[in-house]
Amino acid sequence: MANEIIEGILEAIRLIFTFDPEVWGIIEVSFRVSLTSTFLAALVALPIGSFIGLRKFKGKRGVTNLINTFMGFPPVVMGLIVYLLLSRNGPFGTLGLLYSTTAMIVAQFLLAVPIITGTAKAAIESVDPALKETVLSLGANERQLWWELIKHSKKSIIAGFLVAFGQAISEVGAVMIVGGNIRWETRTFTTSIVLQTRMGEFGMAIALGVILITIAFIVNYGLTRLQTGAD
Amino acid sequence: MKLLQVQNLNKEYYKGDKSVIGVLSDINFSVKKGECFVIIGPNGSGKTTLLKIIGLLELPTSGQIFYDKKDLIKISRKKKVEYRRKFSFVKQKPVVRNTTVFNNIAYGLKVRGIKFDDYQKSVDEIIKFIGLKGMEKQNARSLSGGEMQRVAIAMNFIINPEIYLLDEVSANLDSMNLKLLDEFIMKIKQDKEKTIIISTHDPLEAIKYADRIAVLNNGQIAQIGTPNEIFTAPKDEFTALFVGYENILYGIAELDKATGLSKIKVNDLIITASSQQEGDVKVCIRPESIGIVKGPPKNTSYRNTFKGIVENIRELGNICHLIVKCKSEKFLITITELSRKNLGLEIGSQVFINFKATDITILSS
Repeated sequence: MANEIIEGILEAIRLIFTFDPEVWGIIEVSFRVSLTSTFLAALVALPIGSFIGLRKFKGKRGVTNLINTFMGFPPVVMGLIVYLLLSRNGPFGTLGLLYSTTAMIVAQFLLAVPIITGTAKAAIESVDPALKETVLSLGANERQLWWELIKHSKKSIIAGFLVAFGQAISEVGAVMIVGGNIRWETRTFTTSIVLQTRMGEFGMAIALGVILITIAFIVNYGLTRLQTGAD
Repeated sequence: MKLLQVQNLNKEYYKGDKSVIGVLSDINFSVKKGECFVIIGPNGSGKTTLLKIIGLLELPTSGQIFYDKKDLIKISRKKKVEYRRKFSFVKQKPVVRNTTVFNNIAYGLKVRGIKFDDYQKSVDEIIKFIGLKGMEKQNARSLSGGEMQRVAIAMNFIINPEIYLLDEVSANLDSMNLKLLDEFIMKIKQDKEKTIIISTHDPLEAIKYADRIAVLNNGQIAQIGTPNEIFTAPKDEFTALFVGYENILYGIAELDKATGLSKIKVNDLIITASSQQEGDVKVCIRPESIGIVKGPPKNTSYRNTFKGIVENIRELGNICHLIVKCKSEKFLITITELSRKNLGLEIGSQVFINFKATDITILSS
């Protein structure tokens, strides 16, 4: 076993530094899927989240509870739902999207929307109410107020985006189910690590693990920088 | 003409355990165009909440606010922005946006859709006026507390609204900023198109600026009246204790070059004061500074002596309030109950009152 680990580490170093095409392919798919889904989710979730944070309305507490529940939605279940929707007999079966990166983007998009919505809402609500009043009293309309609040809570909003991205890139269940882990096509860091470990190909698994940890480290470093107040 | 009318206004907050805290109850008053209306009351009496509701920053639990006969509580969100732009709201604690001094001051004009080229000059002018020239590009949040206050004052005054709402603005100001604020307020007061509503806990500030005063106690209006009415005829004990007592007379001052004293014509009385003033003034005399005797005083150093009749007596334990009418003017005088008995003063007694020229405070109006 010890031998296998050492061999695996050596293989990992080789794969990373020789820019192995399969490793690069996996990096490309992972980033494309996670970035696209998080970005699209932000486009939808930012307006919704900030609007909920901005307005007071009946049933706001219910909506908040709903968002909080979906923020912790089990990814595997989301994978199952998207699978059922996209499978040949499902309502969107004719689109033929199952086992494609598009299907993976859809699943991760649905997982990221509540996360970004919830953090954007919390960010807008955490802006000093005195600032909100000042901006309103100076004559800002709702759109102008919204923009001011976004500007003043941009750090928390970016943090929400990073959290969603971090979750997306390290998520395994949903992308496995809807992507199918097809080599050269829908294989990501996580699905690949699962497969390689099963097959005893530790080199590839360790190489991908190291890269994934590095990404996680960079994301968390960014989050810490944001939270400690460096502009 | 009534510009703003507040009717049956109530504000309640719900606490976590569903119990209700009343902040304002049954508030009724109206403000005329060009008037300076001062809401006076101790901390926690509901002044800030009342001003926020008028400025459309908070909703009342019930009641109406009419602006030019339009009910502002019922209008749409969009209309509210339009009406909110008729107000400026200067807060007790200055809040500035996380951007430059220039952008902070220009913000109110910018959101009204005014173009940069059209407001640049006036923003530069007001920055110069508040003494922050050369600091336009600094972030307003990096300024000192006093400088930030000046930015906050400037950004609210540059938008030139119909009604200025000033919430306890002088409470945290240093003397230099107090003077600056005073200049701004006095300038607006001269403009009869502009209306001011000030909240304060300082009776002297109320006398200085107010055309009319509302006394707010525990969320209710205890009394509304001219400064003179409030200070000389407080309707209840709270008002009397809170505002203190002050005789306030309106007159025209003339400087007597020979003596260096001011002669103030108050209707048919001429009052001599040691401070030098000219023009329209308010004359303030504390009731305890006024002496009272039955016969004409002889060999007195008091510059002011008037003959009058005791019109009313209010007994307040050891001391009592006398209202003495001298020609057209009424004076409030406090003396001890003992000396009132010794002097044998009753309603209708003829008396002479006197006070020193140095005991008079003059405020220009």
